[in-house]
Amino acid sequence: MSPPGKAAIQLIGVSKWYGGFQALKGLDLTVAEGERVVVCGPSGSGKSTMIRCINQLERHQKGDIRIHGRALCGEPKQDAPVLRETGMVFQSFNLFPHMTVLENCTFALTWVKQMPQAEAEGIAMAHLERVRIPEQARKYPLQLSGGQQQRVAIARALCMAPRIMLFDEPTSALDPEMIKEVLDVMVELAGTGMTMVVVTHEMGFARTVANRVVFMDQGEIVEQAAPEVFFSAPRYDRTRLFLSQIL
Amino acid sequence: MSDAPLVFTPRPADPPPPSTIGVVGWMRANLFSSLPNAILTFLGGYIFYVVVTTIIDWALVKAVWEAENRRQCLDLVGRSGACWPGVVEWIPNLIYGLYPKDQVWRINIGFLILLAWAVPLWLPRVKSKVAIGLSLVLLYPLLASYFFHGGAQGVVWTALIALGGAAFLWVWLTTLAEMRFGLGFGALVARLAGAADDERARRIGWGALAALYVLALLVVSQLRFVEVPTRVWGGLFLTLVISGIGIAFSLPAGVLLALGRRSQMPLIRVFCVTFIELFRSVPLITILFMFNTMLPLFLPAGVEVNRLLRAIVAVCLFASAYMAEIVRGGLQAIPKGQYEAAAAMGLGFWQSTSLIILPQALRIMIPSIVGNFIGLFKDTTLVSIIGLFDLLSMSRAVGEDTRWLGLFIEPFFFITMIYFVFCFLMSQYSLNLERRLGEGQRR
Repeated sequence: MSPPGKAAIQLIGVSKWYGGFQALKGLDLTVAEGERVVVCGPSGSGKSTMIRCINQLERHQKGDIRIHGRALCGEPKQDAPVLRETGMVFQSFNLFPHMTVLENCTFALTWVKQMPQAEAEGIAMAHLERVRIPEQARKYPLQLSGGQQQRVAIARALCMAPRIMLFDEPTSALDPEMIKEVLDVMVELAGTGMTMVVVTHEMGFARTVANRVVFMDQGEIVEQAAPEVFFSAPRYDRTRLFLSQIL
Repeated sequence: MSDAPLVFTPRPADPPPPSTIGVVGWMRANLFSSLPNAILTFLGGYIFYVVVTTIIDWALVKAVWEAENRRQCLDLVGRSGACWPGVVEWIPNLIYGLYPKDQVWRINIGFLILLAWAVPLWLPRVKSKVAIGLSLVLLYPLLASYFFHGGAQGVVWTALIALGGAAFLWVWLTTLAEMRFGLGFGALVARLAGAADDERARRIGWGALAALYVLALLVVSQLRFVEVPTRVWGGLFLTLVISGIGIAFSLPAGVLLALGRRSQMPLIRVFCVTFIELFRSVPLITILFMFNTMLPLFLPAGVEVNRLLRAIVAVCLFASAYMAEIVRGGLQAIPKGQYEAAAAMGLGFWQSTSLIILPQALRIMIPSIVGNFIGLFKDTTLVSIIGLFDLLSMSRAVGEDTRWLGLFIEPFFFITMIYFVFCFLMSQYSLNLERRLGEGQRR
């Protein structure tokens, strides 16, 4: 199944081993520009490993990964400009606790993009407004609720103006009351045409936002389909079992 | 039954029961919670009372304050009261060692400059604190050697000392400029000179720094002090020199060694592991002996390395090995997610280490780092064994003075107080630092 439009992310036969254990078994996946892909699957299925390979937090050992047509070579210096097109949001937020919310957002702009402080703060405030917490800008991350922290993490990633956003279980560490505020921000982001790859178990989000749902197990893509097809007529027994357990 | 939902109003909070708060509540909970605890409280109070009154009795009430020699003290109160005149007479030696009396002002000036250099670090509105702190660690020692040691200087040494002098001038000019105008020294000069664009402003700023350097060069090349060889350095002064250099050196060296030990590069890792394990497995006293007696055997004949320098190098290497393990512990406490978030935002290794990881790691390491500093400060007493006259050796010398023969307890008591004051201040400062840096980091 090849999506229309230009490819934002291409995985070609990507394999990854941890010692003798193969976490990814020759994955092939293409994500088109502006496409929103939800990746789901049981724990240990390799979905987090895959998303972490895309921005090279983990190095794959076999196969090719291309971002907007440019292959990653594994040399941090050469890959840096390519990887800067991706932004990442983590399950455990990973905000920098010793910096204020605003500093978390401006930090990479001033240090990586060498932007003047005032300009960086303008961009940061615009994104904090977008995730609806500009009033928390001067606080420290640990003074915020989990949902607010995750929204800051999204704003922080957006500040670097990525063309692709990767979400690694963004709501799994949140209290039920806070999941919605984060999902709302993500739905809004989807409305702007951002390319998104989201590892999540929020099937409601998948139904309303995703163009495509990818189901993984044991380091392989079992099946992928548009959400309406995926949820109503999964082809594999493994997918049916998984859906019956989480829905 | 109507369809409108019931309205939930939270109950107001009750005050805590009176017997659990205030002084009475605290005493009841902590001192007299049960019969055995009450007995222990009284017993502890009694022991405390006896110890404190005995010390006060000896050191103050029965003490002799005026006497010509120890004999007079003993005739007056025997051994039941302290004999302070000997200590008072020796205070200059305890503090400055055998440093020539007419040159002692140089030490005082040197330490005043040190204080003045550090003061801007605590002033609000000073933005260049990192540069000031770095210059303090890197360039102050040059100026200190100019004052403390003095003597003839070669061209290179003069140039370096002038660098220290210029840095000190820059620190205060920039501090004043930032407090008054919110601009650094260079930027302020550029503003006053009416620089048109950034490039010109930068050039004028560098020009101003060069002018400072020339000024400092003129001063230090004209103004020279008599050489005071390190063999007459001693007392508290020597202790502060050794421990100061040890502290200033061991923290950065420890950070580098710890990073090296975690490095992916085998050569660097092996070197760091070997260094750390070697110096941590040997007592400091052995290292001091090694450097003092065996190092000259390895050096070509005629090359003489100053005895003080040998001791300082030994202390520095020993302290950095310990510091490295403390820093490594701190680095390990930082969650992997912090590295990942930094990497995901495009930061390289040195940026994420110095801006994300180390600030967090150093904060949690403050208690152990300061503990190490305190240990280092006290360990410098060991240099007395290789023939340097530190505070401890000087205090022993009091009892060997013919007039004060056998007067050992009083000088020891006195230097104990000095050590206590220094270590206590360090420890209090670390607690204070911990609180300030911990702002916003607790839930």
